[in-house]
Amino acid sequence: MSTVAVEVVYRGIFQKTLARNIVRTIVFAARKEGKIGTAFGRYGDSPERNGIPAKQFAIVSDSPEELEENLAVYEAREVDVTINVDDTMCKGIESWAWYGLQPINALTKPGGTLIVTSRQEADALIEDIHQKDTAYNLAIVPASTSFSGLWVYKDDHTDVRILGALARVCPELVSLDSMLAALEDQGWGGLKLTSARNTHDRLSTRPVEPGEGSEDEPFSFDLPGWKSMEEGLVIRGVEEGTGFRGVAQGDGYDPINSVADGSHGGFEPTRSAVFKKFSTRSMRPVINFDTCIKCTLCWLQCPDTCFDVTPDGLYDANMEACCGCAVCEAVCPVADCITMVNESEFNDNNSQWEHWTQDKEGYHRWMADLIQVQKDKDATRSHGYHSPGTYEAESEVAMAGDDD
Amino acid sequence: MATQTLPPQAEREELISGSEAIAIACSLADVDVITAYPIRPYDTVMQYVSKLKADGAFDCDFIVAESEHSQFEIVKHASAVGARTFCGSSGVGWFYAFEAITVTAGLRLPVVAMVGNRALDDPGAFGVEHNDAMAVRDLGWMLYWVGTAQEALDTALLAWRVAEDPRVFLPAAISCDGSFLTHSQAIVNVPTQEQVNQFLPQYDRGRLLLHPDNPITVAPQVNEDWLMEIRRQTDDAMRRTGDVIKEAYEEFKQVFGRGDPSPFIEEYMTEDADIVLVGMGTLAMPVRVAVRRMREQGKKVGFLRVKFFRPFATDEIREALSHCKAVGVIDRDYSYGSPSYGGVLFNEIRSALYTLDQRPLMQSFIAGLGGREVLVRDVEEMTAMVQESIDSGKVTEENTWIGVRD
Amino acid sequence: MTTMTQDLPQVRGVKQIPVFEGFTSGHRTCQGCESALVMRLMIKAAGPRTIVVGSTGCMYVANTTYYSTPWVVPWMHTQLGSSGSAATGTAAGLASLMRKGKMQEEPINVIAFCGDGGGVDMGLSAISAALQHDEYNLLILCYDNESYANTDIQVSGSSPWGANSTFSPPGKVHRIMNRRWKKNTAPMLAAGHPDVRYIATACGSYGPDFTNKIRRALTIGGPTFIHSIDPCPKGWDYDPKYSHELGMLAVETGIWVQYEIVDGELILNGPSRAIARGIRPRKPVTEYLQRQGRFAHLTEEDLKFFQERIDESWEKWWVPGVVPFGPHDEDA
Repeated sequence: MSTVAVEVVYRGIFQKTLARNIVRTIVFAARKEGKIGTAFGRYGDSPERNGIPAKQFAIVSDSPEELEENLAVYEAREVDVTINVDDTMCKGIESWAWYGLQPINALTKPGGTLIVTSRQEADALIEDIHQKDTAYNLAIVPASTSFSGLWVYKDDHTDVRILGALARVCPELVSLDSMLAALEDQGWGGLKLTSARNTHDRLSTRPVEPGEGSEDEPFSFDLPGWKSMEEGLVIRGVEEGTGFRGVAQGDGYDPINSVADGSHGGFEPTRSAVFKKFSTRSMRPVINFDTCIKCTLCWLQCPDTCFDVTPDGLYDANMEACCGCAVCEAVCPVADCITMVNESEFNDNNSQWEHWTQDKEGYHRWMADLIQVQKDKDATRSHGYHSPGTYEAESEVAMAGDDD
Repeated sequence: MATQTLPPQAEREELISGSEAIAIACSLADVDVITAYPIRPYDTVMQYVSKLKADGAFDCDFIVAESEHSQFEIVKHASAVGARTFCGSSGVGWFYAFEAITVTAGLRLPVVAMVGNRALDDPGAFGVEHNDAMAVRDLGWMLYWVGTAQEALDTALLAWRVAEDPRVFLPAAISCDGSFLTHSQAIVNVPTQEQVNQFLPQYDRGRLLLHPDNPITVAPQVNEDWLMEIRRQTDDAMRRTGDVIKEAYEEFKQVFGRGDPSPFIEEYMTEDADIVLVGMGTLAMPVRVAVRRMREQGKKVGFLRVKFFRPFATDEIREALSHCKAVGVIDRDYSYGSPSYGGVLFNEIRSALYTLDQRPLMQSFIAGLGGREVLVRDVEEMTAMVQESIDSGKVTEENTWIGVRD
Repeated sequence: MTTMTQDLPQVRGVKQIPVFEGFTSGHRTCQGCESALVMRLMIKAAGPRTIVVGSTGCMYVANTTYYSTPWVVPWMHTQLGSSGSAATGTAAGLASLMRKGKMQEEPINVIAFCGDGGGVDMGLSAISAALQHDEYNLLILCYDNESYANTDIQVSGSSPWGANSTFSPPGKVHRIMNRRWKKNTAPMLAAGHPDVRYIATACGSYGPDFTNKIRRALTIGGPTFIHSIDPCPKGWDYDPKYSHELGMLAVETGIWVQYEIVDGELILNGPSRAIARGIRPRKPVTEYLQRQGRFAHLTEEDLKFFQERIDESWEKWWVPGVVPFGPHDEDA
């Protein structure tokens, strides 16, 4: 071996400390074996945005000279191990400074490993992951997604469990003993060491064959050159919106006075063709159009302008624009009219309103199932700090639920 | 666009300073937004502008800003919505505005500014040094050093014409030596409004205009995927300025009936010269006097005045200096720790001449800092030192400070 | 001396808020970003005949990242401390060109926005200058998320006392690194610029109120200023779904006061008015502070201190919640 590279794909801010703990410990552990390494975040992800996918890297080499070949880069060219700490990112990731959707395994080397924290089965994850031309391995660390925030870290052992798994799938990087020693050096003893060792011992991997996985073509974008770019740092603004589904706005539409009640053909804002926001989403709103009282609050309070106004005065969340903040759920005055459901339950970005108008009964069954699944599986799902003591309680639940 | 030559008789003569000449140019150019903030010596131009406005002789939005930074930000934004603009500063005031100054070029906005050249603090000093304006030399500003009040007026008109040309869209700074230009009056031919209208079309921002009818986003943040392309665009715009300046200057000469052979440089008795002295701004005056005296003594000395520092007229300067034995560059600036401890102009000229087959000897002089006069005898002393280098075949002192007490 | 402004009617309730979108998707802000919502509400209220200039900050970097933009209306970047100058320059350019017949005459809204770093700290002097030019119609909107959020959450002059930030981290020796009390910006500008006809505070959680404030500021004539409190799920550290609720809690605890100063008259709005009239009690500050990770290190004593400062602003200030000083007893 000469150089081993590991990437951690994580949700900006929510998992920043988690990713940092992982990549730094890798480098400390490698030092135990006389190797040299570097840890860095992708500069284009900085400043990180809540939820928007980001990356950190650890690169370990036998010598400084070998390491130097991998320095002064924004992103490793390829990695031996990809670590994904939120399984909803298996659908692909769009960094806020990167154009297009990058498959989660884009950098994973032939024969390398993708480690995912998930409560799902491997087959379900592979359905979401873009297919590759070369074989690789998938390892699952059974865990709920660990989200905290910028200032308060939720210490539910996800970091050490992943490090234990890493020592298992990539022993040429560092041994479990070195990993444990590096953890102890950082003051993480006792239960955290046990968690790391247990995950190491119980981890299983599943080979993924070439061509296995999602056939979706990730959307991409070509960068124009200086001769075709407009001068004066100018880009064209977004076109003004139209009536719902592109129909022309009816007579009497007036941008100052027309309101969001569905008159004049409803309203659909034009959206960016080169930046979508959906890979930021780990949950999406599911809307009960029958109980909606058309109060406008979900539409009005959405920071991402993601609700289209239908001609019948309802509000249809556009799933290419929705980033899953859940403000709509929070402001909705009707009980269970908007429910946030884990993103891994969905396989497309289709319109819920269209589904509902075409098949109301089918829609209700679909919606009821999703809400039930959400209640059963993931009642404590959290995107960050709520109040003193909640993280401690959530960590206890998370650790009690470990399969270890 | 001018296609015929107008007789110059419609002009009127005025006894005015370089500052006042530029204020009159503002009025003739029908500038829309002007911002002022006081600092010596440039602010005399704004005193004249405000008087013209107060007397109803000039309709513009004249805004007294609360800092130089705001001064330059205001005209930058006025320029983006299609207004012709003017502002200016001096010394550390120019530096206070530096953030706004650099983004103006980045945004490709054709703001025209006057720099009343002044020494940088500390210590506070009012006299001329060129370091203030020089600081923008790498940023995409056109940069011109004026020699007379007449040239100040003419250059201002030329500046809007070139800056606002859609092939260019870059800001322009007109540097005027503090005191010697800003505060000294000379006879100036003031052109007629008709002449100016013929030479200077209205500013048309075109597809880059910030207006509800043209909803664009200007200057979004970029990452490493984009910035090299953007820098290259500005580089290309600056490369295009040479031809646009030549074209505009030819028309200027037709419309106004005056001008030098080259818009970029002035050559004085250089044709058969063994020694060519080089400098910028008002030090041309004592240098030309000295050159005439030395010529009378049979010394083959000439003078090259650099007018446009940006774009740097590499070809013209190379051609002008390719036949002499030695070049003495007189800098009214300093560049501590630079190659050979030479002045800024010296090192630029030396770099331009590097590819010549027959390179002249090069010698750097620092003179006239803080507004100290450059005397005729100083010029004679510098020439004598260059002659010594020619005689001995080598330069022993690459850089000398002239007129400084030991 | 002001020229004509647009006709932008006041709305009565959420159902009258315009459907028009001038700020749409394509921005790269955090989940639950309240400032993005403020941008959206701002331009909804202003309409399409508007030019927006935005100073450096989240609403620059996260919104407009080259080759994509969320802006339907014309938008231009300005420097961090330049919102005042950008508004003045834009308005002056338009006024001059229209007066001279070089541009079709029409009232175009000019809005410059800044964050708290750009507005309350660096840009204060240029904002003050802009507010002196009563010949220009312009609005400066300060979206205050209480830190330099775009550069990764550094403390600003508008950050609350005690808040964790990357420049004020609680440490082993110094628990409270930010010992400055938040600047009282809107009253400072109102007191200092008596000719300004409209200055207000606002919060995106109150949609109709926010819309009406933007519209009043754009139609009253002359330079105007609105200061908006924007919960920031990243810097304040809370679950993004609570952005709306935290905005309301800031008001209901009396930490943020909602008002307008119109032609020299102070009008408290919504819950702030009810609090001032004693109709509704202020919620304890802990209901707001303890929801946020940036205050997780505060002790009981700290929370008590915070509460006392807020109590004092309501009970001892000359104008409760707004103006801290009044005449000396003998002059009253």
